[in-house]
Amino acid sequence: MRVIPYVLISFLFLVFLGCRKQYEAPVPYEFANAPGAGRFTAPVRQSIEGVYGVTDGAAQFGEQVALKWSYVLDGADTTHFLSIFTGVDVCFFNLEVEPQADILALTGYWRKLVNTETGRTRLAVRVKRNGQLQRYSGGLTAGDTLVLDGVYGNRTAEPTQKLTFTYRRPLNQKPFSILAHRSGGRTSDLLSVSENSIEIIRLASRLGATGIEIDVRYTKDGVPILYHDNSLNLRLIQKNGLDGAIEKYTYQQLQTFVRLINGERIPTLEEALETILTNTTLNFVWLDTKYIGPMDKVQALQQKFRQRAILARRDLRIVIGLPTQGAVDAYNALPDKENTPILCELDTAITRSLNARIWAPRWTLGPQTEEVLAMKSENRTVFVWTLDEPKFIEQFITEGRFDGILSNYSPVVAYYHYIGQ
Amino acid sequence: MHSKPIRLWLSGALLAASVSLAAAQGGRQPFQQPDERQPEIYFPQAPRPGEWRKSLGLIFTTTPPELTEEVRVSVPAVDFNLQKGLSKKLFLTGRLQTQFVQSNLGLGLRWATPLSDRLFLSVGDDMTGWFGALLIKDVFNSQAYGLQNFPNLSLGYRLNRDLQLTVRGEGILDMYYRSKVGTLAVVDNKWQVNGFAVSFVLEQPFYGNQHVSLGFRAAYSNFNWQFWSLYDTFDRNLFYPQVIFGFIL
Repeated sequence: MRVIPYVLISFLFLVFLGCRKQYEAPVPYEFANAPGAGRFTAPVRQSIEGVYGVTDGAAQFGEQVALKWSYVLDGADTTHFLSIFTGVDVCFFNLEVEPQADILALTGYWRKLVNTETGRTRLAVRVKRNGQLQRYSGGLTAGDTLVLDGVYGNRTAEPTQKLTFTYRRPLNQKPFSILAHRSGGRTSDLLSVSENSIEIIRLASRLGATGIEIDVRYTKDGVPILYHDNSLNLRLIQKNGLDGAIEKYTYQQLQTFVRLINGERIPTLEEALETILTNTTLNFVWLDTKYIGPMDKVQALQQKFRQRAILARRDLRIVIGLPTQGAVDAYNALPDKENTPILCELDTAITRSLNARIWAPRWTLGPQTEEVLAMKSENRTVFVWTLDEPKFIEQFITEGRFDGILSNYSPVVAYYHYIGQ
Repeated sequence: MHSKPIRLWLSGALLAASVSLAAAQGGRQPFQQPDERQPEIYFPQAPRPGEWRKSLGLIFTTTPPELTEEVRVSVPAVDFNLQKGLSKKLFLTGRLQTQFVQSNLGLGLRWATPLSDRLFLSVGDDMTGWFGALLIKDVFNSQAYGLQNFPNLSLGYRLNRDLQLTVRGEGILDMYYRSKVGTLAVVDNKWQVNGFAVSFVLEQPFYGNQHVSLGFRAAYSNFNWQFWSLYDTFDRNLFYPQVIFGFIL
């Protein structure tokens, strides 16, 4: 008889364990990804970028937003996207042009990264001239104000709620690196594409990133690939019966049997760098050293793509991150290490001893203003990682002296940087 | 996937099942007077006026995968409870949980009444303050503290002379949060619902005259004070399972 309470409580415990909620945030809009920009010519796109006040929709998206264009290259085709960064709940909009519309029209979706809120949106670009909203096709005159107005909705529902953005001022042009963690963001933030995938690299600019950090490991047969965790697990990959360290598997085995959580293949470092170079405008790549052992294969790829970037006249810096003493030792064992750009995550003394041009301390150490200024006076770049708390992001941007922030929430870093005056 | 209403319904169903079990057995002959007391901390029965009771134990909380990803951290916290009867039905509660680098002190008031010779009920409210500080070279220069409030309702059932089951539901309200890294600090002083928790605790003898509390607590909340240094940014209720073990002193 005494056993019943224990059985009951164990049963209840199991029931509760089984009730871990699985959150989802599917993208409610299917992009046509049509190449070109339609009526959004280069001068029109340039005129649209800026900081806007939110008239309708402020309760949902905050009082102001930052609008920024990005594009993806596919051979000779260029596909343009407008991103809108808000200061509320790490919310961003991703919009594509409507080439068939006879006005400047944009359509897409919005998403709040801290939760699962999302919805569709449609906007038109118009100009307020002499107090009247008019069709805009480029060519602003004194006194004109750009207005983006339209509707937004929740989830897949037809958008019906009014949304109006009114131009206030240009974006902050001060150089600042917005670095997206794990190529764009964490899988746990329920993005439509998996962390450390080719697909998220192509998305990163639309999330506000100017550069990305990627996690490099080796397969059993020595192929550098992108993967964060120590082991194959259901956080990152679809169920397939495989587990254990990723280094136990050959590249071919991973290609054949493993798919990332959103269905993508695990990319090689070479495929990732090829995508960054040829398909994106990203200008910084931080190769995070997640492996133990020789660094020569990573160095070779770094040098190969640096040369290709120079030949293509692409502004692209590829650096090897050194997060541990083991990584420092691997770097010190390299031939031609002087010509291998590195980023040191350890203290200032080690950074100086390695002559690393970039120092990247943890954000949990605070602004470290004295050390940051000292490193900058030695012509070093200083980034901070991995900072996701929106209120601290705001403070690090407004009060810190850093050259960039590595974050899973590049949209909020973009917001606080671009609205700066 | 379970939606929030389904989980709430399930929690309610579990509570109802516990009460039904109690009610089903309630028709038996009384085996103990309602005002008799076993050594107890969670069971919803006030100590006699002026009487103190206390327990010392450990609480193991496991981190949700959203925060620590492939790593599961379950650092035990020392758990000390102290209660004092104010009247026949009213009592004060005090609780200290500590992992040394972070601690939580709670004070509360509870009103308890018997519903039958086996079934007991209490309602109460606990206010807790937590504080954490980490100073680790090249890693942390961080501190944080905050206030949380826990309105609670407990149902207790005497399964037999020695064994008592308590089911407790708690709301979790955030009242204040301050976090500091180096010289920068952020404050959030909006009152907001952080989540809820349900606990199931058995209290029984353990070798001779010693009694123990043994149970688990399922908390669904946005924020858990024990993991302040993970800087959770999710506005989602994450699942924090806790195992409770304490010696009633």
